[in-house]
Amino acid sequence: MSTILTWIAIGLLFAAGVYFVALLEQWSLQGYFDWAAPFNAFLRSFGQEEIRTRRYDTVFYEATPVIFIAVVLLAVAILPFARETVILDLGTAALFINAALVYIMVSLIMAGWSANGVYGMIGGWRAMAQLIAYSMAVVMAITAAVMRAESMAMTPIIQSQASLWNIFYQPVGFLLFYGAVMAIAFLPPFDLPTAEGELAGGAWAEFTGARKTLFRLGRLLLILTLSLAVTIFFLGGWLGPWLPGFVWTFIKTTLVAASFFWVGRYFPRIRHDHLLEWGWKYAVPAALFNILQVGIVLLL
Amino acid sequence: MEPLYQYIILFGMLIATAGLAWMLYLIKHSLGDTIDEPGKDMPTQSGHPSPEPAWNRYHVHYYGFALLFLAFDMEMAYMYPWAVVYKELGLVALLDMGVFLAILFLGLIYTWTQSGLKRQ
Repeated sequence: MSTILTWIAIGLLFAAGVYFVALLEQWSLQGYFDWAAPFNAFLRSFGQEEIRTRRYDTVFYEATPVIFIAVVLLAVAILPFARETVILDLGTAALFINAALVYIMVSLIMAGWSANGVYGMIGGWRAMAQLIAYSMAVVMAITAAVMRAESMAMTPIIQSQASLWNIFYQPVGFLLFYGAVMAIAFLPPFDLPTAEGELAGGAWAEFTGARKTLFRLGRLLLILTLSLAVTIFFLGGWLGPWLPGFVWTFIKTTLVAASFFWVGRYFPRIRHDHLLEWGWKYAVPAALFNILQVGIVLLL
Repeated sequence: MEPLYQYIILFGMLIATAGLAWMLYLIKHSLGDTIDEPGKDMPTQSGHPSPEPAWNRYHVHYYGFALLFLAFDMEMAYMYPWAVVYKELGLVALLDMGVFLAILFLGLIYTWTQSGLKRQ
């Protein structure tokens, strides 16, 4: 009985988290909080007329929004909210989350391609450039966490952080993962695929109405999911005194999500070639150094 | 939980998401149709009509990075199983992977010296 109550509480907290992220997104654009803004944005987006471009690719056009939101939900399914409170306790979770999140890029490219608009297409190609830049940082940071936990399942990864959170154990990995996660969610300094004011919405420029609503909902879910992933891999997941585990998870997750938007306000948008250059010249060596450091510390 | 059961849940989630999208589309459809107006179906291009389709050849300026990415991505596939047994195998594992990574890293440095790490 209590597990059902826990799940209901988690569901409500998750919905509240999505609302909070929507609120933060609006705050990051306008600089003040408008409590009704998420609902207004939903109605405005959903009520918009369904317009399609002249010659669009039907399969891609219809599949993209569904893929975008589906992969995010698959990623949520394997992330634990508390001990024993996970939808799917997958043995290969750390690998699965990588595989799922790559489809964000696939969805963006399909969105850019399908509408047959120039701006959208450029947004799609940029999404691919961005993946090539951030992917190594994500994968290698997770590898280091897996090395410490000796398992790819999420529960051992969190339990391995009982003595010391991974953020202190491998700070380099945390910084890389944090930045890369912002790039996955194309949050402000890395919002190349949908660059407002430069590509007029980029990959999503030609989407209106219900499909755009699905994209925007998917993005909110994505930001929350990635905050959850940061919490689990680096901030000790449900570990914390006094309060029940899932409350700690949500406290940490919301703080991480808020920090994404807060950090994003202080950086200008990065050019995609700079992102690629820095990603390979600095992030990949740093990630390899992180693996080496964790490897040596583990053997001591 | 049985593995097969887990994957059935994952598959069910995919179906449920598609169902959610379909439900939204149905609600949207019931609210009214799109009015057909001239020029409405033009792709965005800063107010100009875009006469040509966007499905053209496009010069991806990052193909050098893409090749490097392939090499490193293959390596990552080996890295996960290695990471799981790392602590168990100890120093041998570190040296084994160290040699492999050093070779790959030399490749990265070589690309850098050949000025491959910039917009082509």
